[in-house]
Amino acid sequence: MVAEHIAPMALLLVVAMLMAGSVRAQQASVLDSDKQTIELLVRRIDQLEARIAQLESGKSPASGATATAAASPPAEPARAAQEPPTEPSEPQRADLSKTLLNIRGFGDITFHRDTAKGEHFDPGIGTLTGNTTSFSLGQLDMFVTSDISDRFKFLSEIVFEAGLDNSFGVDVERYLLQYSPSDYFNVSVGRYHTAIGYYNTAYHHSTWLQTTTGRPFLFAFEDSGGILPIHNVGVSATGLIPSGGLGLHYVAEVGNGRSSSSPNVEAVQNRVDENSGKSFNLALYVRPSAVRGLQAGFSVYHDHLTPIGLPNISENIFAVHAVFIRPSFEWLNETLLVRHALNGTSRVFETPGFYTQLSKRFGSYRPYFRYQYVNASDVEPVFPQVGLMHGPSFGLRYDPSESVTLKLQYDYTDLRHQTPINGVATQLGFTF
Amino acid sequence: MWRLANILLFVIVALAPSGLDSYVGVVGSPATEPALAIIVNHANPVENFSYEDLRKIFLGERSHWPNGRRITLVMLDPSQPERKVVLRDIYGMSEKDLNNHFIQGVFSGEVFVSPKTLANSADVLKFVFNVPGAIGYVLASDVDSSVKVLRVDGRLPDDKDYRFRLGARPGN
Repeated sequence: MVAEHIAPMALLLVVAMLMAGSVRAQQASVLDSDKQTIELLVRRIDQLEARIAQLESGKSPASGATATAAASPPAEPARAAQEPPTEPSEPQRADLSKTLLNIRGFGDITFHRDTAKGEHFDPGIGTLTGNTTSFSLGQLDMFVTSDISDRFKFLSEIVFEAGLDNSFGVDVERYLLQYSPSDYFNVSVGRYHTAIGYYNTAYHHSTWLQTTTGRPFLFAFEDSGGILPIHNVGVSATGLIPSGGLGLHYVAEVGNGRSSSSPNVEAVQNRVDENSGKSFNLALYVRPSAVRGLQAGFSVYHDHLTPIGLPNISENIFAVHAVFIRPSFEWLNETLLVRHALNGTSRVFETPGFYTQLSKRFGSYRPYFRYQYVNASDVEPVFPQVGLMHGPSFGLRYDPSESVTLKLQYDYTDLRHQTPINGVATQLGFTF
Repeated sequence: MWRLANILLFVIVALAPSGLDSYVGVVGSPATEPALAIIVNHANPVENFSYEDLRKIFLGERSHWPNGRRITLVMLDPSQPERKVVLRDIYGMSEKDLNNHFIQGVFSGEVFVSPKTLANSADVLKFVFNVPGAIGYVLASDVDSSVKVLRVDGRLPDDKDYRFRLGARPGN
């Protein structure tokens, strides 16, 4: 139908071009140019007629991609006239009868035991847990994307997760509209994972993608006792900085920051910010072409917290990372410092932390090692429950299929004023 | 602590990949082996790419052509031998690693769109002919005038030191 309209219009265009050509007949160079254009348009008409014949005979339907091709004449139209190309797989975005959603799921089930007493953070599963041997359902992560248009994309992570009271809750962990006009500037609006360090934006909520059974304590989620503003609501811009083989990238973010009025309120300020000040985060990292798999960079995060009953707090988080990742080898290193300064006083609380993680794949097996450390003051105003925590983890990841992984991990965690914790976890992770 | 650090350093040295580019980057294959042509739409102004830039496009690390048009990468079906050459010589990955790379890339938001997979060379030619931002690969002997063959590091498939050829690599 579209082609039927285009053909007469093209004919009119040809006639118009012919008329224009006759008026300027004395100018030989221009005439040559017009002649070429006319030939091109005649060929296009041949193409369109062939396309109409194809459509009328009920062969393969028109598509967005074919329409795009019609807008950019190929160099050899004669072939197209003889063999009208069919569009193999370009999505039909204008077809409202088809869904635009792409869905991938991630999940895990863990069997774990440790020697801790009471509710505590378990490095084996990277979250809070009780003190009994348990099968634990991990996060059921529904990753939904939609290619809205050539430059817009929707992305979300909807997570179903059981709490310590065994009841399931639903969290929208990411909720982003992305606009991608070039490699140098991409902007996302919504709820995102803050680009502090490396781990937080590399693995998100899927344990299947991670080598270990759980996230490093430094990058534990807010509702799992973590110390960082893992999620944020606002605007995030990313892109390349022209730098040749250095591969310099930037991330700049402005968001609501984390809540601080009380430990009992939702940590992520999804709808209402408790103050009008915004958080800022700037990250720079390099991926040099000369050393494939290497990424190194730093980030600086700033926010203004307003806890009830305390002076306002100036929060700064400095993070540095260097990771080397190949399909068969992985070495992650990150260190950060969380600095909380109480306004109007000289009191400053600094919480340093780091982790290093090393693994190598042998066929379907990947043994790994991680050492992590965090040292918060016992009177830290924002996360007083954290204290000192450090120790190694050893594990083995086995991938029996492309979509299923089995992990076995041992953790030893030394704590301040408490007995060290020994823990073992076995985790079945999968994607579907 | 120092003792632990020394042990860790020893383990890292022992485990680290012995050759940084053990998978890729071998130049100078026998010219008798069938060559793989990297093809784009004729509307694409690009004529030549460095190997590194080509690799970034195939990895999804570049999403736009210099003219601003979005890149659409098209791959052949895993059963096709041409794909194995691309996995070996461009990605340096197994099929499973490639799958994981794009799952993680899309999941982290770094890769905007996954590659499209087509059954055979004829479909790839038609797709690249139809989609101005498309890039794909076929055997050089299958190329016709409907698409444009890219130079890689200044070389075309007929050239002696062209990178992408079927068959075993020297030293493999």
